[in-house]
Amino acid sequence: MAEPKSKDQDFEKLAASVRLTRPGATHAPARLKARVYSALMLAAAAEGELRDMAKTKEAGRELCAFEELVRLAPVNRKLKSANICRVCHARVLAEMLENPPIYWPHCPYAEFKKS
Amino acid sequence: MTAAGQSPEFEPEGLPGATLAQEQDARLVAAVLARDRKATAEFVARYTDRIYSYICSRLAPNVENAEDLVQEVFLAAWKSLPSFQGGSALAAWLLGIARHKIQDYYRVLLREPDPLDEDFAESEEAMVLPEQERALDEQRMRERTLRVLAELPEQYRLVLQWRYWERRSASEMAERTGKSEKAIERLLARARDQFRRKWQNG
Repeated sequence: MAEPKSKDQDFEKLAASVRLTRPGATHAPARLKARVYSALMLAAAAEGELRDMAKTKEAGRELCAFEELVRLAPVNRKLKSANICRVCHARVLAEMLENPPIYWPHCPYAEFKKS
Repeated sequence: MTAAGQSPEFEPEGLPGATLAQEQDARLVAAVLARDRKATAEFVARYTDRIYSYICSRLAPNVENAEDLVQEVFLAAWKSLPSFQGGSALAAWLLGIARHKIQDYYRVLLREPDPLDEDFAESEEAMVLPEQERALDEQRMRERTLRVLAELPEQYRLVLQWRYWERRSASEMAERTGKSEKAIERLLARARDQFRRKWQNG
């Protein structure tokens, strides 16, 4: 009977001569980024209020049209810190489609198509 | 506002000698921890490609679970973010978490019962290997290897990849999966046998 080591050697040679993956990066699907972002926002919202949209804007980060509307509207502080993407159709489309028909600026779900 | 256009609360606790990339990482982490939605989107946009690429490389050729694993990596990272020290790059820290997730994935799969657990003796027939098959170019050899691996039960594919492509010893695999070394050797023998049969038939 052959030594177990020689059986290993067959495969060691094969592994040494064949790379299983192509070198270089693989681009992640945009809908995966959308799903990951949604999951993180859900986790963040479960921990407490999200950062107030006004503060996000003060920090130099742009808001989408709907977030801007909520920021300017005379609504209570809790709503200004809510996870409003949860009720936005852009999120649903982006999680399901690789190239969702959403185009307005500063929507993270629209930006993932370009990242 | 600072020169970087950020509010003071986004300022990292500037370590003397910190690189620009480290400062950007620290600023991003601080904003994500403050539950800033746009910073979180930037975090995802900036690092998902790298994590996805790494996970696909470790799961190839069967990458159907890669997306779920990427999501798990980000959720685990988000939970551990307060412990990120900034001593290494954020990308390297995330890849460390991805590496653990892959090991967990291997561990769970290898703990499952052997898919073909029956009386078995490993074939002693040698495989026709690359040096004997010079007519096959590298690309065709790779395709053939991937095809054969993809046809194997997942447990067999993983045990072969872990042992030969990632060069883990049987004792290390046993330790990490909680199986005995003998059980790992038995699993490896079955996996090699299945691989050989499919290779010769291919």
